Amino acid sequence: MLGKKIKNGSIEDTLNRFLKDDQHLVLGFEKDENGVSLRAFKNHLDHYSFLNPIFSTNGALHLRRLFSKGTKIILMLRPCEIRAYIELIKLNQIEREDIIAVSIDCLGTVSSKEKADDIPVEAGQLKDYFKNSDTMRWACKVCREKRGVVGDAGIRIDKDGLFWAFPYTEKGETFLTLIEGESEENKTEMLMSGSEKTDKFQNDMKTFAKDFTKCIMCMNCRDMCPVCYCIDCVFNGDEYLPKGDALLNKILRSGPVQLPQGKELFHFIRMYHVSQTCVGCGACEEACPQGIPLTKYFKGVSERLQGMYSYMSGKSFDETIPYLTFLEDELKNAED
Amino acid sequence: MSQDKAEKNPEIIGFACSYCTFKASEMAGSLRLKYPDGVKLVQVPCSSRVDPAFVIKAIFEGADGVFVAGCHPGDCHFIKGNYFTRRKIAALKEMFDAFSMNDKLRLFWVSAAEARRFVEKVTGMYNEIKERKNVRKEN
Repeated sequence: MLGKKIKNGSIEDTLNRFLKDDQHLVLGFEKDENGVSLRAFKNHLDHYSFLNPIFSTNGALHLRRLFSKGTKIILMLRPCEIRAYIELIKLNQIEREDIIAVSIDCLGTVSSKEKADDIPVEAGQLKDYFKNSDTMRWACKVCREKRGVVGDAGIRIDKDGLFWAFPYTEKGETFLTLIEGESEENKTEMLMSGSEKTDKFQNDMKTFAKDFTKCIMCMNCRDMCPVCYCIDCVFNGDEYLPKGDALLNKILRSGPVQLPQGKELFHFIRMYHVSQTCVGCGACEEACPQGIPLTKYFKGVSERLQGMYSYMSGKSFDETIPYLTFLEDELKNAED
Repeated sequence: MSQDKAEKNPEIIGFACSYCTFKASEMAGSLRLKYPDGVKLVQVPCSSRVDPAFVIKAIFEGADGVFVAGCHPGDCHFIKGNYFTRRKIAALKEMFDAFSMNDKLRLFWVSAAEARRFVEKVTGMYNEIKERKNVRKEN
């Protein structure tokens, strides 16, 4: 595949060239004394970082309901963030027109709850770090697609630690014209290979109840989920999760209830609602103050449900979300 | 002794499309066909109106079984509503399967003229769930 080699430090020049225009923005990671953080850059950037080894939120969360109105934006994010962005485009939550999405090979991340002072941000060192340490988040360990092969363009790391930029769409070509140098055929092997298949998720209600007893219904998992986007969530009223009067009525009507009400209901319904769009980034687990292993359930269920329709969330712009389309002759065994 | 003998009667919530299955249930009434009391029907304008959240809520609020029923594929009043239903409910079944509770949900098609088929389907589901429920009680 034809791509451009990115010389050391030249990406900052590239992005600065793009940022010269007042209406242009870049969303990416910045190094500072406190580590690496997600930042929206305007006009100028200095300490740009390709990799962000600490996961706190999914960047696509901030893009929900983004209609850019002529502002050109380059996203330089992890593959899981770009995949969430693609899903939101399919759900008409983002205007694709002026956004160039660039996915960058991801070597895995540690949780932001972890002490992360000595984590390197260079590709080679980071790889060695994860070899000797088991602090990598579970979501990243079982991630199906850490490669930067989604979006308009991708930045990939080869075995020698060099960065390559590859275009996937027309907009990706535009991004590549910003980078200095000629396109060349890539011959070296990439650091990251394709995805492995994981086992089918299977569980029973007992372990489910056990895992979720700690839930306090703060709904952080919903709020931090990049693809859980409804303005009017069914759980905002007191119909599904009764409070006050409604709760009293319910107890009088149907007897004693467990409090807080409707934990299982909440997670089940949410699991179903995000099943086709879940990218398995683990932002829900990251947001959970009680440390419930949410990724296990959400990722497991969504993989099964997406597998039914041979769909993978965030893989391409053109595939339709399975619930929004159908085949006339299918799923005979679902009917009784 | 008498307590053991008391059979548990399941409750089943059914979401019935108002153009087909609900009409079939009305016809079953006018034909004096009997189906179990435990079956409660909820009329919906189209089976695709059923958000799987309704089904999940019904089950977590204590229903022993839920069925979603609509027109046969191709006969939908809204042209393609039941195709979407099929995808949604099939996925929901798969999800229930992942939690080993797939025996609680059914999806079937009953047209307005098939009163007998409606009664058969509903009673069949009722009896199956009743049997399972009483077996579980004995253990």
